[in-house]
Amino acid sequence: MLRYLFTRRTDWTVFVVAVSASLTLMLLGPKSQARTVWFLQHTLLAPAEIVVGWVDRGVAVYWENQRLRQRVARLTIELDETRAERGENDRLRRLLHLAERHPYDLVSAHVVGRSLDRLGGSLALDKGDAEGIEANRAILTPDGLVGRIERTSRHAARVLTLLHRDCAVAARIERSRVDGVVRWEYGDRPTLDLLYVSSQEDVKPGDQVLTSGLGGIFPAGVRIGTVERVGLEPNGLTKEIVVDPAVDFRKLEEVLIYVPSARGGTVPADFYPTAADSAAADSLRRAAAAAAPAESLAARALR
Amino acid sequence: MKSVRDIAVLVVAMILQATFLYRFEIAGIRPDLLVAFVVYLGWMRGPIAGTAGGFLVGLIQDLDAPGPLGLNALSKTIVGFAVAKAGFRVHRANAGVRFAFFLFAMLAHDVVYFAAASLGDLALFLKQMLTIALPSALYTALVVIVILALVENVWKRPLLVDET
Repeated sequence: MLRYLFTRRTDWTVFVVAVSASLTLMLLGPKSQARTVWFLQHTLLAPAEIVVGWVDRGVAVYWENQRLRQRVARLTIELDETRAERGENDRLRRLLHLAERHPYDLVSAHVVGRSLDRLGGSLALDKGDAEGIEANRAILTPDGLVGRIERTSRHAARVLTLLHRDCAVAARIERSRVDGVVRWEYGDRPTLDLLYVSSQEDVKPGDQVLTSGLGGIFPAGVRIGTVERVGLEPNGLTKEIVVDPAVDFRKLEEVLIYVPSARGGTVPADFYPTAADSAAADSLRRAAAAAAPAESLAARALR
Repeated sequence: MKSVRDIAVLVVAMILQATFLYRFEIAGIRPDLLVAFVVYLGWMRGPIAGTAGGFLVGLIQDLDAPGPLGLNALSKTIVGFAVAKAGFRVHRANAGVRFAFFLFAMLAHDVVYFAAASLGDLALFLKQMLTIALPSALYTALVVIVILALVENVWKRPLLVDET
């Protein structure tokens, strides 16, 4: 029978085997799937990621060069203004006896690869073990939280964005201090769900959602997004809350890796610009984009 | 020789997909060259290559996808096989035939993909077919036609040829 199948019906046999293998993979439990993914990624994709990184780096350098030419002209003007402001800032700081705080460090990295899947969900960065980057570091931009590092190699890291099923974040509503968990659920992309919030809690559309710091991976106070829609789950016990992410994941080119210092701490509230502080927001965004790879934004901002 | 060329095409398609194509997104929709590659493989190399290629390409894509493992592998296996079995044997050089073939093959892929992913939620399935699958299939088919025309023009040889 098998001999007949393999000699006369080879195409159908291959088809049935491939479909069976696919279905088996889909029916594996989450832990087995994770183990399988880990094994295949380390055998199949590791060399490909290196090549992809080289190519994208070349393309990115070209585009970056174009942007930097324009930026240099702008920054030259801003530099003079900044020098004057820095002097004023130093004088005021001394007056107030404020010690410089270094509760965290932010290392900039370039996005060198994106998910092969249309729906996205992951990114590849050009920083890895050699630069002191470890797994489970939070990834930020001046707009808000991007995700976390899943694994690293010598000069690369794979990031699970918030739009990945394996990236759940402990979150808090800024206004009412209600806690929950933000997670992407398969469906209406690219929005997130705020889960486990009781139907009695006070949550309204337009509320800002921040990280709560629970869980230890993400620092507290980082903007995740804005509540877009609030409803009631079919069970009647919890709210159905849809969150619009603060970050546009499709357009990420540079990100910041959060590296907590030994003293710990949270990201200061003023790190994330408010709507009313649009001038500061633009300045911070430009600073993040222009930050040299070896120099952290925090160091620049506090210098 | 054909296998080497196919692998080279796959590598180029993967690199473009991972690094370059996001720059051409329109309203969140970008071309999916990997499905197009599976369609090409099934159409030109037959059911075994189409099925095996579809499974492997889908598996690689699954490793990087936010959805469940095996979803891309299943949909690409089916489309690789179906394309080879149903593929037009003639008029492959005709741009209209190419466009229609790639469009319908990509829609068939997405029917399997979103049907399995939405787990019986008909409203979600229809919404994804309308908002993601249809624009993505149109965009990809258009891009593939342009790429094929450009490559054939430079190479001076047809990539998709009729069976004799």
